[in-house]
Amino acid sequence: MQKKILEFTNILRKSGIRVSTAEAIDAFEALDELSVDQREIFRDALRTTMVKRGEEVPTFDQLFDLFWSGFHDSLREAFGEAAAGLETFGMDLEELLRRIAEALQNLQGDLSELGDLAQALLSADLNMLEKLIREAAEGAGTDRIENFLQVGFFSRRTLDQMNSEGAGAELRELASQLEAAGLSPEDLAALRSLIEGLMEAARKSVRAFTERELQQQNHDYMEKFRRETLLEKSFYHLTEDEIRRMREVVERLAQKIKNILSIRRRRLNKGKLDLHQTLRRNMSHGGIPFELIFKQRKKDRPKLVILCDVSSSVANVSRFMLQFVYSLQEAFTKIRAFVFVAEIGEVTPLFQEADINEAIEKALDGGDVINVYTRSNFGYAFHHFWQNYLSAIDNKTTVLILGDARNNYNDPRAWCIRDIHNKAKNVIWLNPESPSAWGFGDSVMDKYMPYTDLAEECRNLKQLSSVIDRLVL
Amino acid sequence: MFDSVEKVAQSLAEQDYICDSKIATVVFLAHRLEKPVLVEGPAGVGKTELAKVVAAATGRNMIRLQCYEGLDEAKALYEWEYSKQLLYTQILKEQFSEVMAGAKSVAEAAARVGQEDSVFFSDNFIVPRPLMQAIRSEKPALLLVDEVDKSDPEFEAFLLEVLSDFQVTVPELGTIEALSKPLVFLTSNNAREMSDALKRRCLHLYIDYPSEELETRILSTKVPDAGAQLIQDIVQMMHKLRELDLKKVPSISETLDWARALLALNANELDAEMVQQTFSVILKYEGDVRKAEGELSKILQKKAAEAAVAAPSAADAPAPAAVKKGALH
Ligand SMILES: Nc1ncnc2c1ncn2[C@@H]1O[C@H](COP(=O)(O)OP(=O)(O)OP(=O)(O)O)[C@@H](O)[C@H]1O
Ligand SMILES: [Mg+2]
Repeated sequence: MQKKILEFTNILRKSGIRVSTAEAIDAFEALDELSVDQREIFRDALRTTMVKRGEEVPTFDQLFDLFWSGFHDSLREAFGEAAAGLETFGMDLEELLRRIAEALQNLQGDLSELGDLAQALLSADLNMLEKLIREAAEGAGTDRIENFLQVGFFSRRTLDQMNSEGAGAELRELASQLEAAGLSPEDLAALRSLIEGLMEAARKSVRAFTERELQQQNHDYMEKFRRETLLEKSFYHLTEDEIRRMREVVERLAQKIKNILSIRRRRLNKGKLDLHQTLRRNMSHGGIPFELIFKQRKKDRPKLVILCDVSSSVANVSRFMLQFVYSLQEAFTKIRAFVFVAEIGEVTPLFQEADINEAIEKALDGGDVINVYTRSNFGYAFHHFWQNYLSAIDNKTTVLILGDARNNYNDPRAWCIRDIHNKAKNVIWLNPESPSAWGFGDSVMDKYMPYTDLAEECRNLKQLSSVIDRLVL
Repeated sequence: MFDSVEKVAQSLAEQDYICDSKIATVVFLAHRLEKPVLVEGPAGVGKTELAKVVAAATGRNMIRLQCYEGLDEAKALYEWEYSKQLLYTQILKEQFSEVMAGAKSVAEAAARVGQEDSVFFSDNFIVPRPLMQAIRSEKPALLLVDEVDKSDPEFEAFLLEVLSDFQVTVPELGTIEALSKPLVFLTSNNAREMSDALKRRCLHLYIDYPSEELETRILSTKVPDAGAQLIQDIVQMMHKLRELDLKKVPSISETLDWARALLALNANELDAEMVQQTFSVILKYEGDVRKAEGELSKILQKKAAEAAVAAPSAADAPAPAAVKKGALH
């Protein structure tokens, strides 16, 4: 059992669920306390000791089914079929076995002279069969299976490893002996048919085991693949489901940064002794300073002005950037958010009222301040910003612009960005297009670039989160 | 009393807490292995309540440590009682003068006072906070660290130390060891993910919204006066609501509140008017109410149609032609 649990632990690990050795030991201890024949309880015990994240539970459940139940069920099914085949002879397995035992007595022998596999087959001892198949598969190296084409090969090897041909021969030989010992022709016919049925069941079960192994290996692979691709998947063309899952990833990334910030804030807090506050606080202690108060040192937190292109080609970059920024509000002194396609308008108030996700959806829809159903015009938008909101920018402000700079051949009015750049602490431009496309066709990225401190491609979550890291850490 | 998983479920049911075998298994193991349990899940699914009923079922004294941002060791473990110490120094002024009499320098005087330190830093002047209380408890206790996700990561690290050996060191007093290990429940709403180190030490329990069957049982236990039809209607409605993309998904606590509210209105089953009157009990946001209204009318229509088929003669609406025809065959 322990061995099987360790094997299962490895499979969990390969799928990205981190199970420590201590936790595997906890699982053993837990199982010692329980009767493991109750499937549900067995599963719950493994889960509570080894899986500590809600979102890992579905993976655990899938793997659990693959590993613990799928196979036993298919064994039962295959051997159930073999036994059911006896019906055509008006016989059931128990009755047949009883008659065989009787006939064997005449021969002064019993079933224990047969090999393990032959015995297990004849008595349909599923636990024993499972054990034999597992061991044989291990000997055959089935855990190295990679694709569907290899199922036949590894099944064959497993069958050889457990010497199934040998077991078949033993059973046929037994039938002949029983014939000589006077087993009735009807019973004999039933036995012969049963033996072939059992051999077929063994082949089927081994194949099922091999396929299951393949699924497990693929599952590991798919999981890793899914997680990596989400980080690297391009923001263009996301399905609803991908947007939802990415939102969760952003949430987690933001949380990580928050934890780092909070620890750092603590360390910074221990500044100089604040004499004034200390005296005040200890008034009730007769002025004796039992409790010391320290001045809080402040780290410069950036002021942020964020200009989001919400035309459909860039909407997702803006979506996740806004989520990021507003999840990390406390990392900034102040955030003001603007959206534009051609008109530009401020959406900061949205974020003060609604919750983040709702505010974002509204903002992407123009937030009642701009019309989003027009053609992009960066020059027009920046000019308006320059006229109405330039005062939002001072030398502590970081200006973050998200857009593909595809200007539909309008006047880029790059001088607006120049003036913004002159007033701001720095200007960062994130563009979902690859730099090789900047400045070609109707892209005016090259016109704006001279006035940015940083211009980067931002096509996926990985790139987005690295920008955020640099911004706040 | 907690001899088996089934017994655990039974004893919790006696405390009016209805749970599936998943929860019972974890509680059983926590008790047997003396391991802390980290309980996660959405708001109002009974995380805190679970700790309370386990305490009641095991006859343990529940000690609660409510976490919040800025909670520190002093508030969780112990504090010295400054004002009491101060009072004593005032009262004992004269004795101090004696102690200090004849000292040749300030340093010497201070040293002599220092020798009397232990008088002031003794059990008399310590205010035990929840963690210390749980450790020093004579009877085995149950420690509930509620909403641990609200605490800061530094506090979590400290908590980890305490949970790993159930002993604390007070520099002035020495090490205090637990007489008997308390059962520990930590609850979290996932405002922040807890560290791997903490998770490794704990058994993990994720409580999700209950199945229809379970919620029905919870309702009939907690609101015994509600009729079967009303309970069934409520549970069905709640499960439909939870499928919607709501800002605040209604939980078991809302289900219970709602059932009580409907009962106060003498409802035997759900109808549109009742629901209109009581919606605010389960949905806290305007937007959520709007989203839910559409779903509601769908459910009620379906219900009315079913009722019409089930009892065609009783309803004043005439039975649909198809049904009549079916009856002739
Ligand atoms: N399984 C249950 N059986 C009986 N009552 C329950 C059950 N689960 C929850 N309740 C009831 O639901 C209400 C909410 O439970 P509780 O306060 O424990 O939720 P919680 O998960 O701690 O929520 P929060 O995350 O908001 O703290 C309580 O009144 C409790 O009695
Ligand atoms: Mg609670």
